This record gives sequence, structure tokens and C-alpha cells, in this order.
Amino acid sequence: MIVPLSNVKNGQRVRIKCIDCGFGLKRRLCSLGLYDGTMVEVVKNDSRGPVLLKVLNSKVVIGRGQAMKILVEEVR
Amino acid sequence: MIPMDLKIKSSNNQRFFVSQKSSVSKTIKIALAGNPNVGKSTLFNTLTGTRQHVGNWPGKTIEKKHGCLKYKNKSIDIVDLPGTYSLTAYSEEEIITRNFIIEEKPDVIIHIVDAANIERNLYLAVQLIELRANLILALNFTAYAEKKGIKIHEKKISRLLGVPVVKIEANSKKDVDELLGLAVAASKKCTEPKKIRYGKEIQHHVSEIENLIINQIKLPSHLDSKWMAIKLLEHDDEVIGVLKSFKNSCQVLEEIAKVRRHLEAIYREDIDTIFAEARYAHIEGLVRESVTTDLQKNISLSDKIDSIVTHQIIGVPFFFLIMWLIFQVSFTLSQPLTWLIDHFFVFLRDKIILYLTSVSAPNWTISFIGDAVIGGVGSVLLFIPNIFMLFLAIALLEDTGYLARVAFIMDRLMHKIGLHGKSFIPLLLGFGCNVPAIMATRSLDSKKDRLLTILINPFMSCSARLPVYVLFASAFFPKDQGAVIFIIYLIGIAAAIASGLIFNRTLFKGLSSPLVMELPPYRIPTITGLVIHMWERGVSFIQKAGTVIFLLVVSTWLLGNLPFGVDYASQESLIGRAGMFIAPFFKPLGFGTWQASVALIQGFIAKEVIIGTFGAVYGVGSEGLASVLQNVFTPLSAFSFMVFVLLYVPCIATVAVIKKETNSWKWPLFTVLYTTLIAWLASLIVYQGGLLLGFI
Repeated sequence: MIVPLSNVKNGQRVRIKCIDCGFGLKRRLCSLGLYDGTMVEVVKNDSRGPVLLKVLNSKVVIGRGQAMKILVEEVR
Repeated sequence: MIPMDLKIKSSNNQRFFVSQKSSVSKTIKIALAGNPNVGKSTLFNTLTGTRQHVGNWPGKTIEKKHGCLKYKNKSIDIVDLPGTYSLTAYSEEEIITRNFIIEEKPDVIIHIVDAANIERNLYLAVQLIELRANLILALNFTAYAEKKGIKIHEKKISRLLGVPVVKIEANSKKDVDELLGLAVAASKKCTEPKKIRYGKEIQHHVSEIENLIINQIKLPSHLDSKWMAIKLLEHDDEVIGVLKSFKNSCQVLEEIAKVRRHLEAIYREDIDTIFAEARYAHIEGLVRESVTTDLQKNISLSDKIDSIVTHQIIGVPFFFLIMWLIFQVSFTLSQPLTWLIDHFFVFLRDKIILYLTSVSAPNWTISFIGDAVIGGVGSVLLFIPNIFMLFLAIALLEDTGYLARVAFIMDRLMHKIGLHGKSFIPLLLGFGCNVPAIMATRSLDSKKDRLLTILINPFMSCSARLPVYVLFASAFFPKDQGAVIFIIYLIGIAAAIASGLIFNRTLFKGLSSPLVMELPPYRIPTITGLVIHMWERGVSFIQKAGTVIFLLVVSTWLLGNLPFGVDYASQESLIGRAGMFIAPFFKPLGFGTWQASVALIQGFIAKEVIIGTFGAVYGVGSEGLASVLQNVFTPLSAFSFMVFVLLYVPCIATVAVIKKETNSWKWPLFTVLYTTLIAWLASLIVYQGGLLLGFI
């Protein structure tokens, strides 16, 4: 099932399917290791405020607005 | 040991993509590049020691640090490039970094890499190789990485990338010395890095475009055709701009657009993703062969701390506890120092006046030297203990990695006024002193966030304004002192929020900046790192703000003493006349006396001067001041005056630091006018509204 990253619960691992944003932000996300096909773990998502992710070996915070534009697929 | 021979070198101007033909010299130019939070500053400090030159990149508000040193009789010039994740044109830092590499052609670039997060870090390395930089990789935090179960075979990476790779701990003199030796050796011959493999399809089209550029366009020698080809394919606006300045560029660009569409159709991705995937795929292959990971499953200490400090409920109170401690500790520690400085200057002044009187110097000389010169220097230095302590506290928060967490937990709140969580710390520091607060905005990424945070910062009531509130509250609201002062602070916060909302919808309309940031792992900061951090910011405050403050103190003294023979700040003095002139403007606010006006003009120097000025103009000491004020102010006009003091022009130091941080006169002037306007309106509403409601 494909959902926006902002809807993913704590502790879940997901794979990025599609990032729907301007190329400026997209380049920034790429440089942090976030692009189509990468696996990320949602460390903290309190259904309000920004989302905390684990990408590669680092923790990355993404604003809620941006998290809504990232579509992901759950990984079992 | 590295023989230290540090010199200060002025930065030279640079323009976009203009090759700097360096004069013939044997100085080896080394640049440090790397992601943020990988120990780049630590490495720079270990290399250059404590004396280093900090300035700004020409025309930018981003810090540029460099230092010179000698290594085995060779002079070496080291530049610390801004921390970046990539070399696209996303941020000013990225543009500065790549323009520096293209234009200044450093002999060697040391790329410092966080060994615990090597994949993400190598993304920059790959782009540095694309840029044909003469690269050395320095793997930092290797011991920490190994503890986490990441083992790196640096020889293999070196072979696969074709660049020298060395493991270091950035604070170890021995390691860094070794690195320096390697850099000097590398400066003599360019390394030949292995080609980056993007995959056949992309490779083919990059070569196609490269050939097109070579055949159609006369590129100057410092621009690399392959790098240009990649960047053009990636639709890099800056590089496209450069290409457009050449003949035949239209055709070439058209052809490139065609290739881009072709690639996007094949891969069914946009071009940025295609290249990111290709680069990461290359890195993944490399890492697979040279890094063995056996990740420890137990939860790291960093994660444990994070689960507390970013907790939905505990996070915010914990943060306020930390801030309370910081204010307590920094003010308690700096108080004796402030007292010492204060008394030293009083002592010095007395001694000098005594001496000048004994040689029967004219009165005005005595006053000039005593009040203006020594008083002026004193009023600058009086700030210093407080400011240095707060700078130290910020450095501590920054270097441990906690600051990023604060940004995370405060983001939701700050979002409401169009800012990020990152802006919260500078605003909070404003309650201590607006000067370090405004300098702390350097940690913000986007220009808009910085400006907005700077502009609303003066409304955070700094500690210097408190004595004024205390005096008035105790004289007019003896029963509700605490509540009245609290309300004043709340009015300040309300003014900041309201201004934030207004600016967001007017000045900075449509400039939304997304929040994407890394939470660095927690680290124990080094003492040297903290002290250097504090020191360079503190000194830069003294240098830049100090001159302005001193000049204005002297000119206010002149205004108070001219024409010759008047009593200081009396009605006949220039400042008294100015007070008389502007007093009518304050009449609707309830305090239209020339004395109040003079106090407000003097308050521009520093808010705490207001009390002293009232003492001077009414000719009473601090003990009798309250009763005198009770005769000239009503409770309502006193409250109106307090509101005005809260909101009107920030002190000279703040204005000076706004000038410095925004690199223009426009914003400090705007701040002066805007805050005065807001103060006037707010006091008008308070006073006239109060009268209507029947208060006196």
C-alpha cells in the first residue's frame, strides 16, 4: 500500500516510491540519501510536527509538509 | 609537531567562475571540505591552532575561516569550506564551495568523512571527483565507527576511488600531522581518480554532451567539459547561466534538453533522481567491497538520549530546564566579572580625573576623557562577560548536537509564525541579550529564516531592560510588580509573533523554506573547540560592534555637553533641545516631557542608561528617583513608558550586530524605524485606551 510518509507509524520501515516536490528540495533530499527506492525507518512521528527518520546511518528530520509529499511503501 | 607560523590574510574578491590566476608563489593551498557535523572545525582547529582568521565570504553572510601554517619549511594556506552535503546549487554553502574549487583551484582538497556514515559522506566525495578536485579522504571517528561494528579497509577504498585515504581522529595532533604530510605530497602530483561509473546509458550520453560542448563552445581552460556536461544534464541553473554567455549555447542547450527528456523517459524518473541513484549505486558497490558492517543490535546511547529529549511530553520541559540552567549559570558566573570591569573603570576614571585636575586640565577635557572615552570603552566591555558566557553556552549546545534536537521539538510551535524550530534558540537567547541571539542566527539555513529571526529578535526583552521595568513597577505598581513585569514580557512576545506573521505575509511572501536537517549523533565537545568557538564570536563582536558603540557613546556625550558651558544633558544642551523637540511626539503616549525624551534618546546606547539619565536630568541619585518619577508619571503613563522602552529601537550594540550579520545598512535602519513605529503605536493604544477605560 502506498501512503504519504507523514502517515507512517513509529518504528516502521518503508521504501520511498515517489517524491513529489520541486527540484531544489529534491536535490537536498537526494544529498541526504532520500530518493526513489531508498529504505528509511520512521523513528518518530507524533502525527503533529516534523518526522524523524533514519536514513543510511544518520537521523534526518523532515518537516510535516515535506513528509506529506513523499510517498512510501511499507516493507514487511 | 607543526611549527605554527600563523598570519592573517585578507580575503580576496571573487566573482562567479572567474579563474584566479594566482601569482607565482610556493604557498600550498589546501581546502577542507565535508558534510556538516563530521569534525571539520575540529580538524581545522588542530591544523591551525587557536589563531585563525575568521571573516565572511565576499558578499555573503557565511563565515569563511582560514589560517596559514608552516610544515617542513613550506608555507601552507588552509581554507575551511562551508559544510555541505552536495555540490548542487541548492544552498549558498554549496555554491561557495564549488566556486572556490573551480576558481581558486586549491592544490589539495581534504575531504573529511564521518566513518560511521560513510555512504552518505561519499556522495560528496563523488561530486568532488567529478569536479576534478585533487582529493584526499580523511576518515574521522573511525574508533567510534568500529565500536558500532563498522570496519573500513581504507586501502581498498583508496584503490577503488583512486585517491589517498587515511584514518584520523581530528583532534589528534599526530594523525593530523600525518595527514598534512600526505597533503603536501599530494600537492606535487595530481591524483588520477578512477572514473565514476554511472551506468552505460548515462555514461554514453554524458560523453555525447561533452563532445558537443568541446566541438561547439570555446570553454576557458579552468572549466572542465565533463563536469559541465553532467551539470548541464542535471539542469543546474548556475552552470546553464555560465553556458549561456558563450556563442552557440542555444543549440547546445536544446540538444541537452533532448537528451534529458530521453533519459527521463527511459528511467521513468526525473533527472535528479537518475543521477542520485547512479552516484549512490557507485558508492554502494564501493562500500560493499571495502567496508564490513556487523551492526550492534543494542540500542545506542545516542538513541536512548534521543528518546528522552525528543519525547512528546518530556522533551519541552527538559529543554526549558536546560535553558533555565544556562541563563542561571551564565549570569551568575559573569556577574562578578561584570562587577570587576565596572569597578575597574570607575577606579580608572577617578584616578585619571584626579590626575587631570592636578595638572589643571580644562573641565571639558576631564569630562571628555572621563565620561566619553573611559565611559565609552567601559560600556562596551561591560557587555563582555555576559556575551561570552552566552556564546559559550551556544557553543556547548551546538557541539554536543542538542541544538538540532531543540529545533526538532520546537518546530511545530515555530511553524505557526512561519519559522522553523531552529529559530527558537536565537529568540530565546534574546531574553538574555539580543547581540549573541542575533549572532546565533548563523545556524539557520535559509536567508529568509535568518532575516525574520533577526528582525523580530529585539522584541524579546533583554536583561538590560529589566532594571527600567523594576524601577517603574516598584514606583507605580508596588503590589503587582511581578505581574506587571510579566505582562511587559508577554507584550514583547506578542509583538514578535505579530511581526513574524506580518513579515511573512508581506516582506517574505512566498518564500517558504522546507525543513530538512540532519540530527547529528551526540558528541562530547572538546574544550579547545568550545573556547575557540566562543572566542572568535566574542572577538568579532568586540571588533565590529565595539567601534560603533564607542563612536555613538562619544557622540551622545558631545550632544549632552554642547554648546560649551552647559550642564551635562540639561535643557540647554543639544540633547536637551533634541528632547524638547521630540517631546510633543510622546505627548499622546503620556510622557511628553523633555526629560523622558532625553532618557529615551540615551537609552539607544544601552537600555540600562535610561535610569542613570533620569537621575542626571532630575538631579537625584538612584534612591530618590522613584519619588521624583511619581510626580511626573501617572501609573498609566508609567506603564505606557515601560511598553515603549520594551519595544522601541534596540540598543546600539544590537543595531551594530544586525548591520554586521545582514551585511547591509538596509535592515538595521529598517529595524530602527519599524521598532520605533511599533513602540509608538503600542504605547498610544495603551495610554489612550487606558484613558478611555478610566485609568489614570
